[in-house]
Amino acid sequence: MKDYFKKIANHLFNSLKNSEILLLNLDAEKTDFVRFNHAKIRQAGNVRQVTITLNLLFKRKTLTSAIRLSTDFEKDSLLLLRTLYYLRREIPELSPDPYLMYERNINSFENDIESTKLDNYAMTENIIDSCSAFDMVGILSSGTITKGFASSLGQFNWHESDSFNFDWSMYTETGKAIKQNYSDREWNQKTFSNLLSASKEKLDVIDNKEMIIKTGDYRVYLSPSALNEIVEMLSWGGFSYKANKIGSSPLHLLQKGERSFSKMVSFSENLSNGISPKFHTEGFIKPELTELITNGEYANSLVSPRSALEYSVNHNAAELYESPVSIHLKKGMIDSNKILDTLKDGIYISNLWYLNFSDRNNGRITGLTRFGCFMVEDGEYKGPINTMRFDETVYNIFGEKLIGLTDSQQLLIDSSTYEERSTYSSTLPGAIVEDFKMTL
Amino acid sequence: MKDDFINQVKPLLPKTDYCSFRFVSKYTNIISATRGVVEPVVISEDDGLMVTIFHNGGFGYGATSNLTQEGILEAVNSAKEWADFSKNRLAYHPDLSKLVNQTGSYFTDEDDNWSKTSMKDKADYLLSVNKALKSQPTISNWGASLRFNKIETLFIDTNDSYVRQKISYLLPQIIASAEHKKEIQTRTFGGHAHARQIGYDFIDQINMVQQAKVLAEEAVELSKAPNCSDQITNAVIAPDQMILQIHESIGHPLELDRILGDERNYAGSSFVTPEMFGKYQYGSKLLNITFNPTLDSELATYNFDDDGTNAEKKYLIKDGLLLRPIGGFFSSQRLGLDHVACSRASNWNRPPIDRMANINLEPGKDSFDDIVSSVEDGIYLQTNNSWSIDDKRNKFQFGCEKGTLIKNGKLSGVVKNPSYRGITESFWKNLSKVGNSQSNVILGTSNCGKGEPNQTIFVGHSTPVCLFENVDVFGGV
Repeated sequence: MKDYFKKIANHLFNSLKNSEILLLNLDAEKTDFVRFNHAKIRQAGNVRQVTITLNLLFKRKTLTSAIRLSTDFEKDSLLLLRTLYYLRREIPELSPDPYLMYERNINSFENDIESTKLDNYAMTENIIDSCSAFDMVGILSSGTITKGFASSLGQFNWHESDSFNFDWSMYTETGKAIKQNYSDREWNQKTFSNLLSASKEKLDVIDNKEMIIKTGDYRVYLSPSALNEIVEMLSWGGFSYKANKIGSSPLHLLQKGERSFSKMVSFSENLSNGISPKFHTEGFIKPELTELITNGEYANSLVSPRSALEYSVNHNAAELYESPVSIHLKKGMIDSNKILDTLKDGIYISNLWYLNFSDRNNGRITGLTRFGCFMVEDGEYKGPINTMRFDETVYNIFGEKLIGLTDSQQLLIDSSTYEERSTYSSTLPGAIVEDFKMTL
Repeated sequence: MKDDFINQVKPLLPKTDYCSFRFVSKYTNIISATRGVVEPVVISEDDGLMVTIFHNGGFGYGATSNLTQEGILEAVNSAKEWADFSKNRLAYHPDLSKLVNQTGSYFTDEDDNWSKTSMKDKADYLLSVNKALKSQPTISNWGASLRFNKIETLFIDTNDSYVRQKISYLLPQIIASAEHKKEIQTRTFGGHAHARQIGYDFIDQINMVQQAKVLAEEAVELSKAPNCSDQITNAVIAPDQMILQIHESIGHPLELDRILGDERNYAGSSFVTPEMFGKYQYGSKLLNITFNPTLDSELATYNFDDDGTNAEKKYLIKDGLLLRPIGGFFSSQRLGLDHVACSRASNWNRPPIDRMANINLEPGKDSFDDIVSSVEDGIYLQTNNSWSIDDKRNKFQFGCEKGTLIKNGKLSGVVKNPSYRGITESFWKNLSKVGNSQSNVILGTSNCGKGEPNQTIFVGHSTPVCLFENVDVFGGV
């Protein structure tokens, strides 16, 4: 794939006229998707897709077109040249783009991960055999993800990795469920067996009479997965420079210094785990670490090159939507082996679901409990709870009502597959929060 | 897709119990202007193929953007290999003998073609909309955009089926935010809800410049308005909020794959169980819901779904009684139920699953004025801006951009941050008036997410204004 991309890029760059600059982005994947229901295959297949996006720059004007391709050089080069001619014909009609910025320095690097030769049939067989006694439902996505960048100025970047992501739930006959995820570059049977055993243990606990709880304020433990749902809502503009400027950020009061989080809370964008590519679609190299919130105070926003020009600030190579791709929350002091003891009386929340803003200005979020939520009394599991709706502000969750964060974090690799497999991840601890509002 | 291409690929259909080729060619063009600047124009061309094979008790698919003969044969092989592997490991295998030959076509009726207006003219028009939006100094964010999608599908199979469809849709969007004492309020042109299968003349019909002026004024008014208070009250709900109410608490819970558990790891299941069809009173007698892929210009109008099933209008709920699920040809076999043509895929690279198409609330008898004048104390809720519902589609909460109080049958004062919450099983029973066809609006959204692997698809909802009693309404912090 790399040789193909280099050959295509050279072919297009040789076709450029004076004053034209061409930026190319390649997105490709070869993935087997196996969907399960009742521990059997519901749908299984393979998807191979390759896209190249051409961004033609000419006299401070820009026009972009994304084309799906075959990787057959003869066929694709004709299609891409046709597209280049189209962009060349249309671009003079456009107005100059005052916020156009692209990398003029050359920062080439290639990140090839040695192929691990994932055996998707063996993994599927293993999953079916291991889960045959359970009502398991979920999806295995496995294969190669490739990202590439090439510029007619001479830069070339490459990011390729083989990985799998098995995201599944196990249900009891009464409809209660435990959710789990296993994602990595190589399948390790022992790790999978341990995860499965942990799910089975929790399934036994949850397979008890449902406790119907009332609306009101509860002390809760939010697992890293549950907390991740809330952090994802913060990512809807919370860390975006532009969103804070135009007022659509749920953290605009924090950014303005009018509200604060607990000193225990430090968020950063940290690309060191290598899951996301470190190059921007316009060629900028992303910093490995950007402090976002430090000791409860807003530190930095994610700033895209466009925002940098619109607001006359420096950018930090954030993509257009200025959302984190690899967010980290610093761990705390709560002993991860003593979560129930520390929670003592309250609700253990493994997963939250379908979050949205109920008052974005004030950082207020609503959503629901879903998989693996238990009532805990005197540090002991008491039983599963009914589905409850919460409605709470992030200034309570990460502020005055935050009791503490756990002393270990969990890496959560995004299992999302809209259009293509995600390269996002989060690294988060769990949290204990007081007076968490349940409203329905 | 030309006939000579079809003739080339037809011989590649393998000799299996059943095989289909679904070619999709998708063109997207998005032009937007934000805060007075035209943003980079987005153009995307996306061609690919999905091969589906049922063979010897197994099922598999292979999807590829490589439309050379070699690429198509690779996809056939992938599908065959998964079909071989899944034999005796499938959750269910359909009765293929019930499949029949399907032949036909469908093309969106566009008066004015998208490409007739130049990119520059569209951009200039959006700049004029921007100018109208920034009509007042407290407008802090503003923008307008046009999204055009053209989706051509060709479906052939080993039953000699031949279905060709071309759907074109247009989504105009406008946003205006106003700031007052650090309070930011936003008005939009129906959120994402004005997507239609319609020609570019739609842009003249809706007059985006005039819409922009009104929205900007409303955003400024809202930024200075009091918060909505907490109350149990009568809610008159506008079509651009009804679209979400129908979508989340009727459309999704009736999807048969949810009822059968396929979606339990992701999008969720349903409070609806198979025994409820034909017996369960979903709402008041005023509630009539149709699966209607036949309504002109509605977003998900078509003649065939992505499994090649021919489409027709059917009632899902009649006089409040639940009749049938949204289940496609293959899916419905799992319960022995009647099917609708709802097996749809977001693109060539995702397999078809049970999906809403156009799910419509049929108009009633009352005019908007009659409905408002019948309310002694209540609130008129417009334009969805937040949605959330539990995994069984029961406990919901919606936020709206604008609330207008109703006192003694008259609209009387705007409130900000209006939201309401409820439970599907009781909410629809409180439907007490349904607007007439004059209050009916054809709407559609292009971003309904579901499925593993994930898929985003376009769905239509046509609905009049409706009145509900005993609604739990509340405001912001």
